[in-house]
Amino acid sequence: MSLPDFQVLRPRTNAEAVELLARHAGDIRIIAGGTDLVPSMRQKLFTPKFVLDIRAIAELNGIRESAAGLSIGAMTTLAAIERHPAIRKNYSVLREATITVASPVIRNMATLGGNICLDTRCLWYNQSLAWRKSCGFCIKKDGNLCHVAPGGTKCWAAFSADTPPALLCLGAQLEILSPQGVRIVPLQDLYSGAGEAPLKLASTDLLAAIHLPAASSGLHGAYKKLRIRGSIDYPLAGVAVTFRNGAGNPTANSIMKDVRVAITAVNPAPLLVREAAKQLEGKPFGEATAELAGELAGELAAKSARPLTTSALTPEYRKEMVRVLAKRALLSLA
Amino acid sequence: MSDFSVIGKRTAMVDSSGKATGLGKYADDFSVPGMLIGKILHSPYPHARIKKIDASRALALDGVVAVVTGSDAPNKYGILPVGHDETALAVEKVRYVGDNVACVAAISESIAEKALELIDVEYEPMQAYFDPEDSMKATSDLIHPEKPGNVEKDYHHVFGDPDQGFAESDVVIEGRYIANEVTHAAMEPHCTLASFEIDSITGNQGRLTVWSSTQVPYYLQHKLSIVLDMPMSQIRVIKPLVGGGFGAKSEIIPLEIIAAVAARKAQAPVKITYTREEVFWAHRGRPRTIVDLKTGVKKDGSIRTVAARVVQDGGAYCSYGVVTILYSGALLGALYDIPNIRYDGYRVLTNKPACGAMRGHGTVNVRFAFESQLDEAAARIGMDPAAIRNRNLLKPPCLTVNNLRVRSYGLPECIEKVVTGSRWAERKGKLPRGRGLGIACSHYVSGAANSIIRSDMPHSTVNIKVDRDGGVVIYTGASDIGQGSDTVAAQIAAEVLGCSMARIQVIAADTDLTPVDIGSYSSRVTFMNGNATLRAAQAAKKLIAEAVAKRMNCSPEDLIFSDDKVWKKGAAEESVTVAAAAPTVSGHVEGQILRGSVQQKRKDEGVKERMSFEEAVVTAMDIQGTLTGVGSYAPPPDARGGKHKGGGVGPSPAYSYSAQVADVSVDEETGEVTVHKIWAAHDCGRALNPVAVEGQVIGSVWMGLGQALQEEMVWKHGLLMNPSLLEYRSASGVESPEIECYIVESIDPEGPFGAKEASEGSLAAAIPAVANAIFDAVGIRLRESPFTPERVLAALRSKKAGAKKLQLTRNADPENPGSFREHGGSLCFKGKGPVRHALDPAMVRPGTTADAAEEMGGAD
Repeated sequence: MSLPDFQVLRPRTNAEAVELLARHAGDIRIIAGGTDLVPSMRQKLFTPKFVLDIRAIAELNGIRESAAGLSIGAMTTLAAIERHPAIRKNYSVLREATITVASPVIRNMATLGGNICLDTRCLWYNQSLAWRKSCGFCIKKDGNLCHVAPGGTKCWAAFSADTPPALLCLGAQLEILSPQGVRIVPLQDLYSGAGEAPLKLASTDLLAAIHLPAASSGLHGAYKKLRIRGSIDYPLAGVAVTFRNGAGNPTANSIMKDVRVAITAVNPAPLLVREAAKQLEGKPFGEATAELAGELAGELAAKSARPLTTSALTPEYRKEMVRVLAKRALLSLA
Repeated sequence: MSDFSVIGKRTAMVDSSGKATGLGKYADDFSVPGMLIGKILHSPYPHARIKKIDASRALALDGVVAVVTGSDAPNKYGILPVGHDETALAVEKVRYVGDNVACVAAISESIAEKALELIDVEYEPMQAYFDPEDSMKATSDLIHPEKPGNVEKDYHHVFGDPDQGFAESDVVIEGRYIANEVTHAAMEPHCTLASFEIDSITGNQGRLTVWSSTQVPYYLQHKLSIVLDMPMSQIRVIKPLVGGGFGAKSEIIPLEIIAAVAARKAQAPVKITYTREEVFWAHRGRPRTIVDLKTGVKKDGSIRTVAARVVQDGGAYCSYGVVTILYSGALLGALYDIPNIRYDGYRVLTNKPACGAMRGHGTVNVRFAFESQLDEAAARIGMDPAAIRNRNLLKPPCLTVNNLRVRSYGLPECIEKVVTGSRWAERKGKLPRGRGLGIACSHYVSGAANSIIRSDMPHSTVNIKVDRDGGVVIYTGASDIGQGSDTVAAQIAAEVLGCSMARIQVIAADTDLTPVDIGSYSSRVTFMNGNATLRAAQAAKKLIAEAVAKRMNCSPEDLIFSDDKVWKKGAAEESVTVAAAAPTVSGHVEGQILRGSVQQKRKDEGVKERMSFEEAVVTAMDIQGTLTGVGSYAPPPDARGGKHKGGGVGPSPAYSYSAQVADVSVDEETGEVTVHKIWAAHDCGRALNPVAVEGQVIGSVWMGLGQALQEEMVWKHGLLMNPSLLEYRSASGVESPEIECYIVESIDPEGPFGAKEASEGSLAAAIPAVANAIFDAVGIRLRESPFTPERVLAALRSKKAGAKKLQLTRNADPENPGSFREHGGSLCFKGKGPVRHALDPAMVRPGTTADAAEEMGGAD
């Protein structure tokens, strides 16, 4: 399968990139690591006239520590995040999610910005042009059918990245550049919840950095992922959990604070399970009570999951696994 | 064994450096001047009449040289003489989504792809059949009009007295088993480059040369001659390095014919390389199979009768189907001593890609059923699963009830090895809940005793040329597809001639240069090509020995060939004037001796007792002129099976045996099965190259584990939902367990140095070994493969009183599968399936009424 014809643009600065995006708005795609975009372009899911290659922009790359927290350039590779000592020490849930992404080879190319902006996935969508022709084009691309919810008008393609649930738990903020200037938005506001257009980004927007607040530093956290194969697979379900232990020691029987539970790959957007945070806040967490907390987190997380038949494994199974994974994530911190 | 100097040594593959460095060439690495790229237009319909094809818009595109369609090459072909039902490109109708409609030859891949969009095809959809049991009831819109009821072939065999056998049995167990469809997933996608020479005198297209990723270059030559109406002698097929076949390349794949047809019309060389999706459409993998199995055993564990009804979902063309359905029945025999067998096999056509031969051809799915049911029988009579297998051993040499001749039989030792290795006696049944052990056995042929075209022609022929430089060149038609047949041929010749491996060159699988070999399938190459190589090397050795014997004043039998030297038995150790010059590989001064100087030397030295290999060769050439040895192999008549209809499939000159124990744990909350370790013992007769044998056994077990746990082709209305290696989940390194491999050497009386099959026999046992281990771990009996987490969990939940019932597999009970569901169990779609419409994206149908997502509980 060949790539469609396009012209590559290689800006050196953010300003130049934003200017190019504005000039070719609607006819341009940003390429970061390319691990998702390139296969999709071969399948003719995207046929832009221009491809904006932002790899040469130095200011988009790297991890900077400050009193406010950690600032991660959007072009920082997942492999670099995996290895960074401050992330390993203070934001361990992000590292745990990162190392489950695809394979080591892909993580050398793939970037955090790319993972956050990942296109939603569906078995009826991530297919070649010839394949899609044989069954009728769907809402997400070129048509108005939905094969997973026949007669439906909404696209249910699943958001299938691993790092966003961890970042949601950490309260990540995004730094977005546009011709109008810089704006900071919380990560959860990036996602629209619509499978066909999952990101609330204008075609002139450039994601520049991800900020992790100092307040989230040192949270206990875990990420659990459902997949059939031990590597390579996209998540079929994923759950991240973080909290702060009132006693500062997770093994002692103490009180859970700042609880956050987030799920991925079972909806068109990654979601914070607010009900779980509310009900678990202030609950005791220790040898005797962890199981109970886990069950509760699982029930509530599963309630928020709305998987459809967008991938291998039945929706019922994936939903059930959200329950199990949430419980296990919490128990792994006991 | 210590008598051998090359055989039995762990030997690196002779072609490994090229593969490791990238210097080795696979089909897609070839290009010739003026070469065009071919791209194929595939059918979007599972079954439709082609009313019109208009390629004028495509031809008008700059860079497009030719468009070919069915009418450019309408001759029918197929791998089996009884199954000539394919054409290069569809004539009149298409039979599956992905069927080949037209091919564009253009100056680049992207132009060819664009041109595909410009070919206008008008289809008239027909009734399509996806479920074999439904397909068998068809009365109209038959897939091939000459096959009533869409049955490609059915066989009904009775050996012994099955009814009497059941009457004698104390326990009779019946059950339905379903194995879902899997494919080979070889690393290298299929690729073919076809190039015609221009005849120097007439200026017309002359000879055709084809480079292709194939396991069967000679069959390809034959089928090309049928389709192109050319004499075989005008077609040269070259097999370069092949990146794995597993059966996928053991017959003629559409692109191999299409490339040649396109090259003829474009009057330029054409290369076609499949995308991974096209590899899935070309398929020829293992069919979904329903096995209704009934086994009768006595209280003492002896098997009295087996009755099997097998239905295979064969896809739209015959392919190897007739052979597959026969293997499924024939290989009920030759593993255990079973006095009575009844077999009813149905190979059914459906509107899906054709199934064909895949590693363990025909035996795997039936073996899964049989070995599972044997465990159930053992449990019923209170016998240990290993003991019941030991109770039913054959007593070779013997002829089974279905006329299979068994001579070497290492199964008892295989069972003993894995039982000991896994500490079966102390651990089986005594592990904590959630952890279990399972045992199973399997076997396979060492080549089919009858070739596809029944004849007395040899199945393998080998020429060996020895030249005055002391170099040995083996010309063999055998196809190395990564399994190491070139290395085995070199080892055999080196052993016979007593020379080092460095002297040996192997020229293989080029129809212009090498003598015929029927190909790499049914695990025949080591046995058959090995025997032909052995005979060719012995013939060459005989010529050398006769000449050297004259020179040494002894008889040829008194000579010893070893270590790059030839000497007279009992020759004095010290006369090593020549040997001292070792190492004497080609290029060394000894290798440069010209005949004249040897004659001079001989006069100087008088009678000798010892010679270097080069000297011996030159001495022989003085007498012979040229030095060649030829050898061939045809299976002996008494190994060719019974006279009953279909009796030609199953017989083999020798059978390999395998026993395996799997150690697994089951996560009862998620249904995930983890295989911790497999102990696998394989009887390969004699291990000519032990490291290659281990590689093949481990590879077989690993491939079997893929089918056991996660690999499954998923269908929706004839549309393959997972035509990629991302969604078709072969195991990655992470979930590959340790596999402890034991080589058992039963030394077959007819194999080369006693060798037999090593590459396929161990696959089948892996699946039931895991199934039996899951039963041991958590008490569920899974009768549908693969054992995906949701199938396991569904079975667990249905057992557990008061557990929350979940519609994990849409009412399909993996412990008691009924009919095929349209899409296995792992991926069930409640939806109506694909809505097919005119190909214009603007022509989509308006959405229907209610929001179905609501009904599914999916809406917010």
